[in-house]
Amino acid sequence: MNKKKDKGFESPRKSVIGYVELTIFPTVVNLNRIKLNSKQCRIYRVRVNELEAPFIYNDPTLEVCHNESKQRNLNYFSSAYTAAVSAVDPDAGNGELVIKVPSELWKQGDDLKVLKVYIEFSLDQPKGGLHFVVPDVEGSMAERGAHVFSFGYQNSTRFWFPCVDSYSELCTWKLEFTVDASMVAVSCGDLVETIYTHDMRKKTFHYVLPIPTAAPNISLSVGPFEILVDPYMHEVTHFCLPQLLPLLKHSMSYLHEIFEFYEEILTCRYPYACFKTVFVDEAYVQVSSYASMSIFSTNLLHSPMIIDQTPQTRRCLAQALAQQFFGCFISRMSWGDEWVLKGISGYIYGLYLKKTFGVNEYRHWIKEELDRIVEYELKMGGVLLHPTFSGGKEKDNPTPHLHFSIKHPHTLSWEYFKMFQCKAHLVMRLIENRISMEFMLQVFNKLLSLASTASSQKYQSHMWSQMLLSTHAFLKSISNVSGKDIGPLIKQWVDQSGVVKFFGSFAFNRKRNVLELEIRQDYTSSGTQKYVGPIKVTVQELDGSFNHTLQIEENSLKHDIPCHSKSRRNKKKKIPLMNGEEVDMDLSAMDADSPLLWIRIDPDMSILRKVEFEQADFMWQYQLRYERDVVAQEEAITALEKFPTPASRLALTDILEQEQCFYKVRMQACFCLAKIANAMVSTWQGPPAMKSLYTRMFCCKSCPNIVRTNNFINFQSYFLQKTMPVAMALLRDVQNLCPKDVLNFILDLIKYNDNRKNKFSDNYYRADLIKALTNSLTPAISINNEVRTVDNLNPDVRLILEEITRFLNMEKLLPSFRNTITVSCLRAIRQLQKNGHIPSDPSLFRAYAEYGQFVDVRVSALEALVDYTRVEKSSTDLQWLLDMVQSDPIHYVRHKVLGMLCKNPPFTKTADSGLCNEALVDQLWKLMNSGTAHDWRLRCDAVNLYYTLFGLTRPSCLPLPELGLVLNLKEKKAVLNPTIKPELGVSVVMDTPASIGIHGFNTMEEEDIDMETVHDSQAFIHHHLNLLDRPSTPGRERKEPPLVEQPLLSMPATPLPPFSKETASLSSKHGGDHGHHHHHHHHEHKKKKKKHKHKHKHKHKHESKDKEKDRDRDNSYAYSNSPASGRSLRSPSLSD
Amino acid sequence: MQMGDSSAASGTSLNSGGRGAKAASSPAENYQLARRRTLQVVVSALLTESGFESAEKAAVETLTEMMQSYITEIGRCAKTYCEHTARSVPTLSDAVVTLIEMGFNVDTLPVYAKRSQRMVITAPPVTNAPVTPKSLSAGQKRTHPSHIPSHYPEFPDPHTYIKTPTFREPVSDYQVVREKAATQRRDVERALTRFMAKTGETQSLFKDDVSAFPLIAARPSVIPYLSALLPSELELQSLEETDSSEQDEQTDSENAAGNANADDPSADKENSVLPPGGVVPSAKASEDNVIDNPYLRPVKKPKVRRKK
Repeated sequence: MNKKKDKGFESPRKSVIGYVELTIFPTVVNLNRIKLNSKQCRIYRVRVNELEAPFIYNDPTLEVCHNESKQRNLNYFSSAYTAAVSAVDPDAGNGELVIKVPSELWKQGDDLKVLKVYIEFSLDQPKGGLHFVVPDVEGSMAERGAHVFSFGYQNSTRFWFPCVDSYSELCTWKLEFTVDASMVAVSCGDLVETIYTHDMRKKTFHYVLPIPTAAPNISLSVGPFEILVDPYMHEVTHFCLPQLLPLLKHSMSYLHEIFEFYEEILTCRYPYACFKTVFVDEAYVQVSSYASMSIFSTNLLHSPMIIDQTPQTRRCLAQALAQQFFGCFISRMSWGDEWVLKGISGYIYGLYLKKTFGVNEYRHWIKEELDRIVEYELKMGGVLLHPTFSGGKEKDNPTPHLHFSIKHPHTLSWEYFKMFQCKAHLVMRLIENRISMEFMLQVFNKLLSLASTASSQKYQSHMWSQMLLSTHAFLKSISNVSGKDIGPLIKQWVDQSGVVKFFGSFAFNRKRNVLELEIRQDYTSSGTQKYVGPIKVTVQELDGSFNHTLQIEENSLKHDIPCHSKSRRNKKKKIPLMNGEEVDMDLSAMDADSPLLWIRIDPDMSILRKVEFEQADFMWQYQLRYERDVVAQEEAITALEKFPTPASRLALTDILEQEQCFYKVRMQACFCLAKIANAMVSTWQGPPAMKSLYTRMFCCKSCPNIVRTNNFINFQSYFLQKTMPVAMALLRDVQNLCPKDVLNFILDLIKYNDNRKNKFSDNYYRADLIKALTNSLTPAISINNEVRTVDNLNPDVRLILEEITRFLNMEKLLPSFRNTITVSCLRAIRQLQKNGHIPSDPSLFRAYAEYGQFVDVRVSALEALVDYTRVEKSSTDLQWLLDMVQSDPIHYVRHKVLGMLCKNPPFTKTADSGLCNEALVDQLWKLMNSGTAHDWRLRCDAVNLYYTLFGLTRPSCLPLPELGLVLNLKEKKAVLNPTIKPELGVSVVMDTPASIGIHGFNTMEEEDIDMETVHDSQAFIHHHLNLLDRPSTPGRERKEPPLVEQPLLSMPATPLPPFSKETASLSSKHGGDHGHHHHHHHHEHKKKKKKHKHKHKHKHKHESKDKEKDRDRDNSYAYSNSPASGRSLRSPSLSD
Repeated sequence: MQMGDSSAASGTSLNSGGRGAKAASSPAENYQLARRRTLQVVVSALLTESGFESAEKAAVETLTEMMQSYITEIGRCAKTYCEHTARSVPTLSDAVVTLIEMGFNVDTLPVYAKRSQRMVITAPPVTNAPVTPKSLSAGQKRTHPSHIPSHYPEFPDPHTYIKTPTFREPVSDYQVVREKAATQRRDVERALTRFMAKTGETQSLFKDDVSAFPLIAARPSVIPYLSALLPSELELQSLEETDSSEQDEQTDSENAAGNANADDPSADKENSVLPPGGVVPSAKASEDNVIDNPYLRPVKKPKVRRKK
C-alpha cells in the first residue's frame, strides 16, 4: 500500500484539509468492501479507481453505551467498551469507515488488480490526534509561535487521517504538507523538496518514507520552528519553538553519544536515513517516537546552568532513540507482542543508563523499577505481559481482577500500561541473566538485520512481515542464538501475572556450623504467584562472601547452608568482601558465636520479587557499612528504620559522611536518620540529627551558622546539600514539633543563600529549602475551631509564611527554571492550610491552575485543589476540576487531573460521602461514555476514577435500577427483529449497516456478556439503521441506497467478501500471506452470523434461570403498554 | 534659586498650616517667613487701597505669590543683566531695563509712587539675614606655596582634588559581610515585592487582613514556557561573569531568533543554522563547508505546469 497525503493547514481556524490515496493490492478475490480506520474526520468523497464509491462511517466508540440506557455499573461499561473497540479494531480487519468497492471494479478485483482508494477529508478543530497550540497574542501565526503536532496513545493515527491504524500493516509513504510559508512541516521520512505554491504564500513539504512503516508510527508537526542541524551528525535535525535555540543547542549537544552507543551495542546502523527531534509545547507525553522522528515536550530543554533537568532530558532522549529501533523500525505483530518491543527498548535504554550514569545508578534504577512493579502488582493485582485470549469466553479472562480489559491497548489504564512497560524491561533483564548479555545483543542484532533486509525489499511486500516482531519469533531467535530454553522463565513472568513475595529468616546452628535458612512465600494474596526454581543467597561470613544457589521447591521451606568460617573474633584479620576488597571491621557488635555478618536473598534481583528478610540490627548495620552493592545498602537503610538505636544512628551518619558512597544512598540515609531520631527522641544526645554534619560539610569554617556561598560543581554534594535540610525538617521533639533549632537553621540557610558566584542555577536548591519549611510544619493547636486570622498566627509560622510570600512574589519578577519555586510554594501553602495555620481556601490555587500558567505550576496547584476537595468535601471544587477535565486545552493537564483525583479521591467506594450523588454519577458516566471519545488515555482515566469512586457495581447512591430501561429494550427489540434476519429480505437498504452491526455483535458474543450488553449491541445495530437517516458524514448518502442495493442482490447467500489491505509500492506485485488470514476470518464470520440466531434463543433460556431478572422483565412486559407507569417511587429518572 | 525655594515653602505652608511651627525652627526659614508676612501686608494694603473690604485667605495668598514671583523675577533678571556687563552688583539701569523687558511702563512708576491715597506700612522687623552654613570642610586646607601671592584664592578642600581618606576600617569580617549582604538582599527583595504587590493586583491568604501577606496575583501568560525555560537576565549576567564565551552564543542566537521570521526564508535559515564557531569539528568543517541538510535547502519555485 502506498499512501499519499496532502494537507493544507489553517492555524487560526485549527482545521486541516487533506486527502489520502491508498494503493491496495488485493490478495483475495471478491474484494468489494474496504474497511479503514478514521475518527472525527469529515469525509467528503471516496473514489476507488476514479469511480465514486459509497461509504459508511460509524464509530461505536463515540458513545459506548447509548443514551437510553440507565445502566451505571462499570462491568457493563467495560465490556461494552471492549466490544466497541473490538468492533473497529484494525488488527481484526475492522474499521470505522467501510467503503464499498464499486461493482464495476469487482471483475478487476477478482483478477487481483490494483485498487486505488482516494479519500478527501477535513478535520475541523480536532479534539484528539492533532493538537493546535495557538497563543492568543498579536502578530502573525509565526510570531505567535503557533504550532501543531500529532499525538496519541498507541495507535491513534486514525484521529487525523483515514488509514489502517494498525502496527502490523506496513506500507511505504509519500507525504505532502502544504503550510504557510513561515512554517516548517516536520514529518516522517526524508524531506525530498520544498516547493512554494503559486501564490508564494505557502510551501509544500514533500516527504518520502521508503521504509515500510505502520500508520501509527506516522506523525507530523508544523510550526515556525527554529532549525538546528546537529553539529556532529548532519542528517539529524532538531527543531524548537522560537527563542529557544540556545537551549536546544545545549540540550542536544549530547545526542550523538547516545546514537553511537546504540549503534555500537546493536552493531547496526540507525535504520532511517535521517532523524528529527521536535520540541513542542503542551505535549501529550514527554517523549513520543515515530518513524525517523521524535516529538518531545519543550519543557525538556534547559540551559547549561540547570543541573537536575540535565540527566532527565538525556534519559528522555535515550528512551526516544531506543524506541526508534524497537517500536518504530521494528513494529509489532499484534498487541500481545507489545511487551517484546517495550521490553527490548527499555532494556537497551537500561544499558545506556549503565554506561552513562554508572553501575550504581543502573542498579539503583533497577531496584526502583522492581519496587514499583512489586508495589503495583501487590496493590492492584497482576500485570500480564502476554495475554492469550484463547476461547474468547469471559471466564477465561486472564485478568479478572482488573476493572478494564487488557485485550486492547485502548482499554488499558495508563498506570497499568506504565507498569506493563516497567515489567517488560525487567523481564528482558531476567532473560539477559539467563542467556548472557552477549547473546541478548546478538538476538537484537539478528532481529534488526532481518528487518533491514526486509525493508530494502521494495517490491516484495510479503517480506515485510520480517519487520514485525512477535513473541514467538523473539523466543525462537533466543533459542537459536543461545541454544538455551527459556520456556519456564517466559511462562513464569510473561504468560502469567504476579510477582513473588518471600519472607526469610534464619538461625545459626553452632554445633553443625550451619546456617538454617527459612524462605516462605505468600502466593495466595492478589498479585502474587508461586515461584519454584533456583534462588541465589549470598552469605557474608568472617572468612569471606559466599554465594549459594538454593532450589525453591514445593514444600521445602528450610535450607541448610554450611558455613565456611568458625567464629574467631580474636584473630585480627581483614575481612574479604564479595568484590575482593579486604577491610577492617569492628566486630564487637556481632554475636560472638556466629561467623555471619549479613545474608542477602536474591542479590542480583533475578526474580521479580519482594523480600522481607529478618536479620539482627547489627547485621543490617554491617551490611550498610561494608556491602558495596548500592541495592544492599538501600535495603539495609530501609530495614534500619525499625531499629532506632545509637548503633544505627552511627552507621547512618558514617554513610552520610562517606564521600565514596553513592549519593542516592546517602540521600536515603538522611530520611532514615530523621525517622530514627524521631523514634529515639527521648534519648537523643547532642544537636539535632545531621545539623553538625551539614555545618561541617557546607558551612563556613569561621562562622558555622552561615552557609558557604553556593558552589554546585560537585553534583554529589549538591544533591546532598539539597536533601539534608528536607530530611532535617522532619525531625520532631518531644511535643512532636519541629525543633526550634532546626527551623532557625533552615531559615538561616534561606537567608544566607548566595548564588552569585555559582556557575549553576540554585532554583532546585531553593525549592528544596521551601520543601524543608513545608516539612517542618505540624498541625496547629486550635482552640474550639477558631477562625484563622493574622493575629493568632503562630510566630514560627509567621516567619515561614514571610519567606514563602517573598519567594512566591520574587518568582513573578525573576521566574526560576520550570518555576520550581512557585511549585514548592504552592505545596507549602496547601500544607499550611491543611495544618490549620491559615484559612483553607481554594481561590489562590484556582488562579495558579488556570490555562496560561506554566504546566508544572498548574499541576501543583491542581494537586492542592484535589487535596482541598477531599479534605473539605467541596462539591463546587470537584465540579470545577471535572469541568477542567472536560474543557482544558491541554490534554496532559486533563489526564493529570483525573490521575490525581484517582490517587487522592474525594471519596471512595467503601465510604459514604455527601459528594456522591446521582448527578455526579451521571456526569462521570457521560464523561467516560461519550465525553472522552477523542482521547483513549483520558477515557481510561475516567474509567479509573469511576472505579475508584464507585467500584465495579452500580453506585450505591443511585436508586435501584428501574424498569424504564427494560421497557426501552423491549421496544428496541421490536425494531431489531427484522434486521437480525436480513436473509428474509425484509429490508434491502438495511443490509449493509446490519452486517456491521452483527460484526460488533459477534465480538460481544465471544465474550459472553450479560443480557444488557446484548441489548446494547442491539441498540448499536439500531444505531446503524439510523445511520442512513442521519449520517455522520455528509455528502454521499443520497446516492447510496441504489448502490447498496446491488451487492445484496448479487450475494444473498455468499459470505461477506473477504478483503485485504495488503500493501506494496506502486509497481509491486501483490503480497500473499495476509489474505489467508482475512479469508479465514470472514468464513468464520459467516458461521457466527448463523450461530448468532441460535445463540439468541439460548439467551432466552438462560435468562429464565435468572429469576430476579425474569421478574423484572415480566413486570416490564406488563407495563410496557402504559408509558405513564412511572409508578416506582425510586425511579425519578423515568420521567426523563 | 531663592524664589523657587520660597514658593515651594509657601505652597506647602498653604496646604498644611501646621507646618509653620516646624519651619520656625530654622533661622533661614524664619527670615523668609517674616519677609513673606510683610509681602502679605503689602498685598492687603493694596487691596484696601483698591476698595476691597475683605478678601479670602486663599485669594490673598495667591496674590502674594504672584507679587513675590514678580519681584523675584525682577531681581533675577536684573542680576543677569548686570552680570552680562561683567559687574557683580546691579545698578538702577539694570532694574529699569528689566522692567522694560518685562513690559512695564517705567514712566508710570514715579506717578504711582507719589499717589495720594497710598498707604504707608511699617517696615518689616529687622531680622538677621540667614547665614549660609559653612560648607563642610574636610581635611586640612593647603596653604599657598611661596610663589603664589597671598591674595589669590585659597585652595579648595583637599578632598575635591586628592583622594579622600576614610577614617573607618573597611569591614573585612566575613560574617558581617555575609550578614550585610543577606540582609540587604532580603530588604531589597521585600521592598520590591511589597511595592509590586501594592501597585498591582494581589491575592491574599487571609480573609480578615488582605494586606498581611500580599501575594502578587498570578497572571496567566500567553506563552508560559518562555519565562519558565529561558534563564533570567540576572542568571545570564552571573553566567557572563563566570563564562564569557556563553555570552557570545547568547547574542548569536538572539540574532538568529530575530531573523527567523524574516521575509526571505532561505536567508534566515543560513543564519540560524550555522553552528556556533567552535562546535563543528574542524576536520569536518574544512571538508564540506556546506552542510547538506534538506531543511537548509532553498525553497523551490513552483513549476509552471503543476503536476497532478
